[in-house]
Amino acid sequence: MFKNCAVALVLVAAASLLAQSPNKKPQPATQKGGSAPAGAFVLRGGRLLTITHGVIENGVLVIQNGKITAVGSAGTTAVPAGAKVLDVTGMTVYPGLIDSETHLGLTEISEDRSTVDTLENSDEIMPHMHVYDAFHAETALIPVTRVNGITNAIVAPAIGDTLPGQDSFIQLAGRSANDMLMVRDIALPLNFTGRQRRNESFDRAKFPQTRMGMAAQLRQAFLDAQDYEQKVADYEKKKSSGSDKPGNPPKKDLKLEALLPYLHGQRPVVLAAEEPNDVETALDLAHEFHLKVVLNHLTHAASLLDKIAATGFPVIVGPIYEDPKESERYDAVFRLPAEMARRGIKIAFASYDAHQARNLPYAAGYAVAFGLPYEEALKAITINPAQMWGVDQLLGSLDVGKMANVVVATGDPLDVKTDVKHVFIAGQEIPLVNKQTELRDQYSQ
Amino acid sequence: MVRHSRLCWVMLCFLLSALASAQDLAQAQQYFPASHGPASPQQSASGTDSKTIRNDLVIRGGTLLTVTHGRIENGSIYIHDGKIAAIGKTVQAPSNATVIDATGKWVMPGIIDAHSHIALDDDINEATSPVTPHMMMIDAFNYNDKAIYRALAGGVTTSLLLHGSANMIGGQAVVIKHKYGLGRDDLLFPGAPQSIKFASGENPKRVYGGKNQVPSTRMGNFEVMRQAFTEAREYMRDWDDYDAKVKKGDKEAHAPKKDLKLEALADVLRGKLLVQIHCYRADEFLTEMAIAKEFGYKIRAFHHAVEAYKVADQMAANGVAIATWPDWWGFKYEAWDGIPWNAAISMRKGVRVAIKSDSEDITRRLNQEAGKIMHYGNVSEEDALKSITLNAAWIIGVDDRVGSLEVGKDADISIWNSYPLSSAALADQVLIDGDVYFDRSLPGLGLTHYKEVQ
Repeated sequence: MFKNCAVALVLVAAASLLAQSPNKKPQPATQKGGSAPAGAFVLRGGRLLTITHGVIENGVLVIQNGKITAVGSAGTTAVPAGAKVLDVTGMTVYPGLIDSETHLGLTEISEDRSTVDTLENSDEIMPHMHVYDAFHAETALIPVTRVNGITNAIVAPAIGDTLPGQDSFIQLAGRSANDMLMVRDIALPLNFTGRQRRNESFDRAKFPQTRMGMAAQLRQAFLDAQDYEQKVADYEKKKSSGSDKPGNPPKKDLKLEALLPYLHGQRPVVLAAEEPNDVETALDLAHEFHLKVVLNHLTHAASLLDKIAATGFPVIVGPIYEDPKESERYDAVFRLPAEMARRGIKIAFASYDAHQARNLPYAAGYAVAFGLPYEEALKAITINPAQMWGVDQLLGSLDVGKMANVVVATGDPLDVKTDVKHVFIAGQEIPLVNKQTELRDQYSQ
Repeated sequence: MVRHSRLCWVMLCFLLSALASAQDLAQAQQYFPASHGPASPQQSASGTDSKTIRNDLVIRGGTLLTVTHGRIENGSIYIHDGKIAAIGKTVQAPSNATVIDATGKWVMPGIIDAHSHIALDDDINEATSPVTPHMMMIDAFNYNDKAIYRALAGGVTTSLLLHGSANMIGGQAVVIKHKYGLGRDDLLFPGAPQSIKFASGENPKRVYGGKNQVPSTRMGNFEVMRQAFTEAREYMRDWDDYDAKVKKGDKEAHAPKKDLKLEALADVLRGKLLVQIHCYRADEFLTEMAIAKEFGYKIRAFHHAVEAYKVADQMAANGVAIATWPDWWGFKYEAWDGIPWNAAISMRKGVRVAIKSDSEDITRRLNQEAGKIMHYGNVSEEDALKSITLNAAWIIGVDDRVGSLEVGKDADISIWNSYPLSSAALADQVLIDGDVYFDRSLPGLGLTHYKEVQ
């Protein structure tokens, strides 16, 4: 209830923290000393994919104090004296990529339970779980991911509960979890794919065994939260009216309280459904409780795209690698992003993974093959998710004033052959080393 | 471009449909007339049957990625009776040959997936004993599985369908061509050698350890193998003794009992089967190679092989190939040291490397997976192409038949709308034995030989 401004406050705090205090592991020697402003870089000669104002050939991008301070053409863009100049002629420069669903920091070795914190499976309604409580900043997976140019990500619990807990939005660099968690509670997954049913076998089934059960349980949870809020309000009213016997406040209920920002539309629910019937059911529920919605998956819901476009809800689309229905053409799911974009639906891509989050841009590239305009594909891993997650003032494009999350690569960011050469996060150059490069170097002699 | 290829397709169909009856004409655009006949006769060892023998075909005008002799810009391929009869800047072909115009496109061999479990439904693992060499995957082969079609649409023409990894010694694989829409036997790769799947490491020990059986450790894993081959040796000795007696004219000699399991193991020892081993860790490659040496069989390839880069020189010395992913890692302990430079380092140390899928999804885009090793390891175009064509063919034992655009090879060819080793390439047409099986420009599924059951 007192979290109305929480997201905005956290964002501002994160921005200032990341911009002002270098919080990275030891930096390359080139950044130390000298008279240049702390961490000033000039990237000169590259092809700038600004996202918001086109492509600048032979461009210049300036990074100072963790921010982008200039973006323009060579020759017309002033550069600060004493900055470290990187000649990136022939290379492509683009904003750090944003992955709209990962499990980074929640899993290390998938098959080893002791390293996995993706799901509290004992109940289906767990909105009071916060992934930030499990987020492992020192995971080996983040350095592996960021060397492919992914600088920000949603960290989400796994899909096995209807309300599995709240997502965090992270920066893929930082000295500790506190540095990396840009927004601690950013959204609440609401999963309605059928996989949340407890129907493994008829003998061992428990409620909710069916979709009816899932829907009823979810509806009851929201009603309970509304009732709880009313009781708290009644108490507060009584207390502030000067009643000498306001009694005890209602028992604090973390689970119900966690739902309130979502019932107030302050943060989005990420509504995951795959089949058209599930999408309809979940949309009805969202409508009933006036939820702010980001749709997720919609794998087999091509028949509903006009209706979805009319809602204005953005969509995390995919994984586009899901199989089509047996009767469908091989590319029925591959074409989904293009079909959405054609209808004006704002889309974002996600890896839905942890170890392979680094492959995020290739999904966008493959969607281009199946008709998604190239610019839309780029937006779907930069500015679109930044807007969907409310961080577009900071991230998602090469614009002056934004946080300097910037990638330099040998070519098209969406192509599998492209090699990333520099990654800046909050203006700090990230060494392109990780567990895997160390093994490579050790054994390639 | 799409419009253009559709035109070619219509022409091709029209020419061939002249052979079909008038009422077939309406369907000719969608269904190849050749598929209307009765069930095909048994395929001959040469790989062509009566249905695929057809008039001459020329693919003209594309950039040919031959795999073995570089690129040919604006080249042509002449296909006769399902085989590549000529390839070059220009080819001599009969004037009445059907033409596929590939101008502006990229032409490469059909992709070969050396590790797949598609079309086996849920019969991949006979996980009831760690030694099941007599399981024949052909007995589970579901040739109607649409996964065969979806891989075909990604340019795949040949796959090795393997037993799973529950058992130290699993079953015997089936090699298919992705002729989706034809009958079961038409999909079998004629004359392909028989492969057998072995496994090691975490999977067998988890499956049997979970049942409180041997093996539950890597010690148990390898001892199970030694035990099996020791029994197989005795079985072979008994049969050799019997054969020797018979040869000497001993009328009293009793034939030992035929035992399917031991017979299959004996076939390993006799060198009749290509041994394909699921194996992740460096120490296990070494143990597997030592056991192979002890019992006198050869290992064809280690599959997954995410730590191959650690002992690649020793694998190369033994002539063992690997079939690996470009970048999978971390999903279990034995995959923890997987690195995306595995393929490149192993190649550089002389190992024959194939990039495979082990996935119904990834088999549809192995072209991208091969592109990744160019990214991570600066692997050359030719070596990246080999990883999904010729090297995979070698692992399966069919490299004399497929895997490159060379005269005499089967005309298994994929035609792409842009550079295939990239994120954004699509297979426009896929030919097997000189016959188009997939054409993206066609409506519906894009299949030419498949008829939806009404």
